[in-house]
Amino acid sequence: MAQMPALIPKEVEIQRLKKIWLIVIAMGSTAASVEVDNFVDGSLHQTSIRDSAFTPAHWWLYSHFVALPLGWGAVAIYDRRVPILRGPNNSMNTGLKMTILGYLATMFTIGVNEMWHFWFVEEIFAVPNHWMFNMGVVVAFMGALAYVVRVYARLVELGAETPGENPYVAEMYKMALEGKLYSRSIP
Amino acid sequence: MTLPKGFGSGGAGGTGSADVERMIGRRVENMTGLITISYIAAWLATFGGTAAGYYYYPWAYPTPSGHYAFIVLTIVEAIGYLFSVKVSEEGSTKKSNGLVGVTLGGTAIGTVLISLFVGN
Repeated sequence: MAQMPALIPKEVEIQRLKKIWLIVIAMGSTAASVEVDNFVDGSLHQTSIRDSAFTPAHWWLYSHFVALPLGWGAVAIYDRRVPILRGPNNSMNTGLKMTILGYLATMFTIGVNEMWHFWFVEEIFAVPNHWMFNMGVVVAFMGALAYVVRVYARLVELGAETPGENPYVAEMYKMALEGKLYSRSIP
Repeated sequence: MTLPKGFGSGGAGGTGSADVERMIGRRVENMTGLITISYIAAWLATFGGTAAGYYYYPWAYPTPSGHYAFIVLTIVEAIGYLFSVKVSEEGSTKKSNGLVGVTLGGTAIGTVLISLFVGN
């Protein structure tokens, strides 16, 4: 793997990348706890139909659609201290941009969702009020994968994490470091 | 190496270890206490959230559901806590297995007791 140029001392970069990594673990824990709960317990998010338009238990689910855009925003603020994570023209990292935009979309969909459920109580994944949730989350996941892999790949390159043994995984890390995990033209 | 404004010796020499320490600030391996307090706060907030559900909205969120959710949430949060401490201390000489064990054990026992004795 080609060594990327270092603009800050290696030890500083490792510490900063790990701080980003810790924020990502905290957000992952938040998202997993909220979403896993909704799968295991039907009373939290009725599987196919609500018992009423007003369902306080849904607030639990909504909380992470507010926490995640704010958390990724915090990552974006701290991210500026790590030169390797800069995006095109020294802007925000493209993966991070996608993640924040995706979760912002889900955050604003909470209102749409509540208004829709005032009249219709079905909780089918494909009903129109859920479209922006679904699309937002998918866009956010794509961006987050590109960003998180890039952070991890840099930690591997700096010797702070163990490299992947699978050559396909190693190739993915290499592409991520070059900012080409998804596109060769948009870094 | 070019350092940010305010760091380094202004061209008189290289990067000193004091500059590196200033740029790092608090090291991740010294954040175990902060992570532990955050985990306990998250666990208490989880209890508060589920309790608000079964005390104020029992028609939407019955107590057994609240306890079930509380147990699952605690497990997921505990995994996140363990990962956070392990990531922050890997590669250093710090070892906080005792603290992690006591914290996880304490919240596990607390979760069982709350599920047995608290509810609507």
